[in-house]
Amino acid sequence: MAAVSLYPLYYGVRASFTRYLYGRDFGWTGLRNYRIVWDDSFYHSAMFTTLKYVVLTVTIETLLGLALALLVARELKFSGMIRVGLILPMTIAPVVVGVMWRLLYDSNVGIVNPLFQALGLQQPDVLAHNRSAFIAVVLVDIWEWTPLLFLIILAGLQSLPEEPLEAARVDGAGRIRVFFDHTLPLLRPTLLVAIVLRTIDAIGTFDQIYVLTKGGPGDATRVISIYAYNTAFLFTQYGYAAAMLVSLMVMVLLLMIVAVRMMRRAAA
Amino acid sequence: MRRRRRERILVYAAITVILAIALFPFWWMVNTSLKHQVDIFAGVTMYPHSPTLDNYRKLFDTYHFADYLRNSIIVVTVSVAFSLVLGTVAAYPLARYRLSYGLNQSALVVALLVRMLPVILLVIPLYIVLAKWSLLNTRLGLILIYTGLNTSFVIWMMQSFLAEIPRDIEEAAMVDGDSRLTALRRVVIPLAAPGLIATAIFSVIATYNDFLIALSLTSTPDAQTVPVGVSTLIGKIQIEYGPMAAAGVIGALPIVIFAIIVQRHFVRGLTLGAVK
Repeated sequence: MAAVSLYPLYYGVRASFTRYLYGRDFGWTGLRNYRIVWDDSFYHSAMFTTLKYVVLTVTIETLLGLALALLVARELKFSGMIRVGLILPMTIAPVVVGVMWRLLYDSNVGIVNPLFQALGLQQPDVLAHNRSAFIAVVLVDIWEWTPLLFLIILAGLQSLPEEPLEAARVDGAGRIRVFFDHTLPLLRPTLLVAIVLRTIDAIGTFDQIYVLTKGGPGDATRVISIYAYNTAFLFTQYGYAAAMLVSLMVMVLLLMIVAVRMMRRAAA
Repeated sequence: MRRRRRERILVYAAITVILAIALFPFWWMVNTSLKHQVDIFAGVTMYPHSPTLDNYRKLFDTYHFADYLRNSIIVVTVSVAFSLVLGTVAAYPLARYRLSYGLNQSALVVALLVRMLPVILLVIPLYIVLAKWSLLNTRLGLILIYTGLNTSFVIWMMQSFLAEIPRDIEEAAMVDGDSRLTALRRVVIPLAAPGLIATAIFSVIATYNDFLIALSLTSTPDAQTVPVGVSTLIGKIQIEYGPMAAAGVIGALPIVIFAIIVQRHFVRGLTLGAVK
């Protein structure tokens, strides 16, 4: 099993040391690809865009997910239906998510331009401008993945021990005090697992951005996965793209080691 | 009491607004998919005034959607079936025996890592390997890759489900004369069935939804799957909005139905078992 899954990775790392172009191997080049990556300003800006994207989305999703979980973690009518409705965005294919939001954002057929017009504002043509396009893809990510944080946090909330919270309430602590002094510290392990899992996933975001903007306009939404994909499959620089991804993989692996350790501790 | 009631009303109001935000994009897509071409461009209407299935018809007549659906169904069914068998058989010893050299833990960690790795990191090596074996643009190539990825997920999930089944039950069956394999088939698997079903459904969703692998490794309707088919409608020169919306509906429908059926198992599957 390990052999099957690690075999392709070995190929990837090997390719990063070669001039692998147009689907053919043109020989060993040592660290040449890595030196180019080091100096590549497109790579730098793609990494920076990814960083901005990941920090923004994960932070907002965690806060919203926590708020939503606190809202729903009580006796409610239709709680099953409410939960399904809330998590539907993250179950469907990210490509379809991209299509949905393309239909909403689009200048010709969408609903965003008419909405701004109705409010007496200038029509934004969201996907045509750098700033608004970036905000647009971040919003889509938040719409799609807040449900994941919500689900994990809700499950965490429901498995918290009742006694310490009850005791604090009996002692006369207000709701906000109970939350910050007791609920939040107890919830910490769950929150950390959720944040790391989501961060790893967010680093690899590709599908929705590909459908919405293909990384444009200019390089406004060109995250690292889009840049690597274009380098490999559009410009057929497989070796160079592989080098780019190896450097990314090192970062992801570090995060994953943290994640696995936390998940084991949570399971124990 | 009054305050309690006012709070409840506020909570329901907030949930209604949030649900509307979560579900409106779905409705807008369905709405667009049922409109005539002229109506799509005619301005905002919240429902199709003269609904039509033209967009769906066009999808199947001119945009190869029957091919995409066929490929998706074949690839998903075969790879999930294989990985369920392989993964369960591999998960069983991991849940039951203590292997030497801490092999249990390392095998599980590798299984988890493979599943968590962002797909973009796998795509280039996979492309090189498939090119070597001349399996680019074939369903077989996709089946091999998805089987590998799903198997690691099945191992990870099933070992935690199997570990929850008390040993005594299968040991009792073995005392009654079953071999370990018969005991596994006759006693353990039926008990693990809910977990197996949840795992199967998650594998189906993940495989059906995958885009990047299929996009990079296939190039014609002979092997392209539904998500890739959806993306081909966003042409370089113009976008076919109606058919694109219809394609999105077809892409989402099976998963939405699944999600409603298995909502109880969702937390565990989607969080890789981090939360039970």
